[in-house]
Amino acid sequence: MPMSAYAGKPVESTQREAMSASPAAALQRIACLLVPALPLAAELRAHPELLGRPLAIAAGPGPRAEIVAVSPEAARAGVRPLTSVVHGRATCGALVVRVLSPALDRAARDALLDAALATSPRAEHAPPGSGAYGAEAAVFVDARGVAALFRSEAGFAAALAERARRLGLPARVAVASSRSVAQIAARQLAYEGAAAGDVRVIAPDEESRFLAPLPLDLLSPDDDQAEALSRLGLRRIEDLLRLSERALVTRLGPRIRSLLALARGQDRAPPPPVPPAQRLEEATDLEAPLERLEPLGFVLRGLLDRLAERLACRGLAFGDLELELRLEGGGLDARRVGIAAPTLDLRVVLRLALLALEAAPPTAAIEAVTVATRGCAIRGDQLDFFRPAGPTPAVLARTLAELAALVGPSRVGAPAVADDHHPGATRVEPFRAPSPGTQAPPALAAGPTLAVRALRPPLPARVRVTGGRPAWLESALANGRIERSAGPWRTSGRWWSPEERFAFDHYDVATDDGWVVRLRLDLLTQRWEIDGVYD
Amino acid sequence: MSPSPGLVQSRGLEALLRDLGSNLVRGGPELPAAARFPTGLAEIDHALGGGFPRGRVSEVVGPSCCGRTSLAFALLARVTALGELAVVVDPADGFDAASAAQAGVDLERVLWVRPPGIGEALRSVEHVLQASGFPLVLLDLAVEPSASLRIPTSAWPRLRKATAAAAAAFVLLTRQRLAGSFADLALELEAAAPRFESGPDWLAGLDGRVRLVRSRSGPAHADVGVRWQTGGKHAA
Repeated sequence: MPMSAYAGKPVESTQREAMSASPAAALQRIACLLVPALPLAAELRAHPELLGRPLAIAAGPGPRAEIVAVSPEAARAGVRPLTSVVHGRATCGALVVRVLSPALDRAARDALLDAALATSPRAEHAPPGSGAYGAEAAVFVDARGVAALFRSEAGFAAALAERARRLGLPARVAVASSRSVAQIAARQLAYEGAAAGDVRVIAPDEESRFLAPLPLDLLSPDDDQAEALSRLGLRRIEDLLRLSERALVTRLGPRIRSLLALARGQDRAPPPPVPPAQRLEEATDLEAPLERLEPLGFVLRGLLDRLAERLACRGLAFGDLELELRLEGGGLDARRVGIAAPTLDLRVVLRLALLALEAAPPTAAIEAVTVATRGCAIRGDQLDFFRPAGPTPAVLARTLAELAALVGPSRVGAPAVADDHHPGATRVEPFRAPSPGTQAPPALAAGPTLAVRALRPPLPARVRVTGGRPAWLESALANGRIERSAGPWRTSGRWWSPEERFAFDHYDVATDDGWVVRLRLDLLTQRWEIDGVYD
Repeated sequence: MSPSPGLVQSRGLEALLRDLGSNLVRGGPELPAAARFPTGLAEIDHALGGGFPRGRVSEVVGPSCCGRTSLAFALLARVTALGELAVVVDPADGFDAASAAQAGVDLERVLWVRPPGIGEALRSVEHVLQASGFPLVLLDLAVEPSASLRIPTSAWPRLRKATAAAAAAFVLLTRQRLAGSFADLALELEAAAPRFESGPDWLAGLDGRVRLVRSRSGPAHADVGVRWQTGGKHAA
């Protein structure tokens, strides 16, 4: 990875000198991770197949839209930013034009922060650039003490650039003693045409010398300031610093002080903070609306892939997914896909997302997709030494989702004895494999226990009663003379509700055609039913 | 005139069978005890050589009221008591949680799947076998009244392979044998006679028989009588 140190001095020696010369100055070290043309980088990150093709990002749809960024291939073909799309197409017939996507930009900007957080716990977004730097995205990273981890600041900067590259962002990295100097150095790298991944380390005592010959444009003055400075014939930072501050404030107003502070490399801001845990989001606008779920799978895979890389940077895993589909006609399909246990297994997450969509497909064609998750720390399970572990949480979640998609969510779960006297009451709980050893299993039956098969719904029957007892049974199941019967056992309940009240007389009966069934007389309707078979 | 080679072979075989005597049993090599799930019913477990084999397909076949469900619940109770997870694939929606709990089944360790049809039931079985970690899978096809079960023949080798890969015991409850030679174990249960007791009248249980008709990994034949008990109270 190419690395440059100011004034041709080897970085290590420059740093050592700086440290020994003024230890106080070396207290603050900031790295700036900078992507000069974010819209372009964001588009290429989402659509890597466009790499190597002449690409232009337009501010909006239509031929008159302004081009805001162009790829090197397009630039070589003569396409320039700030021209119109129609002009760009006339210049380069093979030009691919994509409309600026705020969602892609936002995701790429956040991904840059994630890359920074992979190497240092403290990082923050740089304020948005203006003017010529409006398209750039930058992140400031606390670089104090990093030499112990990365052998040198240059090593740290290289690691940062590599992280950004893995997230699909071609970044330049500079390390200096203040945010402004680090950002200017990173901009300078981009201006020099340095390749993505190039880094620069400015030792504390070299900063003034580094800044002096640079053009004033790198300080990003506003339009009024730029015009005034140009009128005064000031082109370089050293030209500005040569003048007295008092004289400058008199002529250009007090706002020039902030520019002077930048030119001197002064930074009063505290070190970057530890950013709060946030919702990670990836999104894409589709070129043509998708009507089927199969191609959506490919789109989701790309989004989840990028999300997984970002989560990995933060040492986190997928939690529940928030899936937002913008539908043709203006509708929005928002849904939450539960992830039973934090995982980075992309196949599992993708499968769960697709199963959720298959279970309830969107009502219209999909125009844009957003996937978000709150990263979760992966927990280790404490396994029991003597008891089986069962399926892994991720596999269990996938299996349950597959079954729910196949048979319906209400038809998969753990059976439970309903706290209800109604003979047909049944309850299905969400299946959560109990952790090994968390509770003792129920006592086993002492001997062979006769089981009942439930009939849901109960089977209507015709019963002839003799002497107050069922004597003959006709049904779709059992037909014949009732040889033996036991009962009745009366069950009644919910008397307070006219709709739900019930009252049954149950009999256990054995018919001469070999059936042993549970027969019941509904006392409210005087209908006979079979609700169980002894088997 | 010397005897024909076929006759010599036949006599040799007869002599070998005589020598081996009671050491000769039908069936395949026995599985270790750890590779079986017991039912907790001593006579049946003994007849099965320790229980239902893992990694194999087993069939429990019989008419209604023969004790198929009772045997399945006994197996479920033992397996869940070991801390294992079990799956009940129940297209007929006949699983009675109260009855299973009475048999000692740890319901929290049972995944109950109620597919709407046979095709979904088979696919459900495949899903859970592929998941690994569910060492007992029960497919209840003992539908009442008997429906025509259209199961493609190609399903059985696939299920058998998945069962072996998952090292799970895949037990099929049916009215007639379905898996054929793809089942390593087949139990036939006879229609059981109800046992009523008086004073007042109550159903005390069923007296049934369990016959081992096929086993590739243990004794080939056995015939055991079982007295299923209701527990002395109304099962509802």
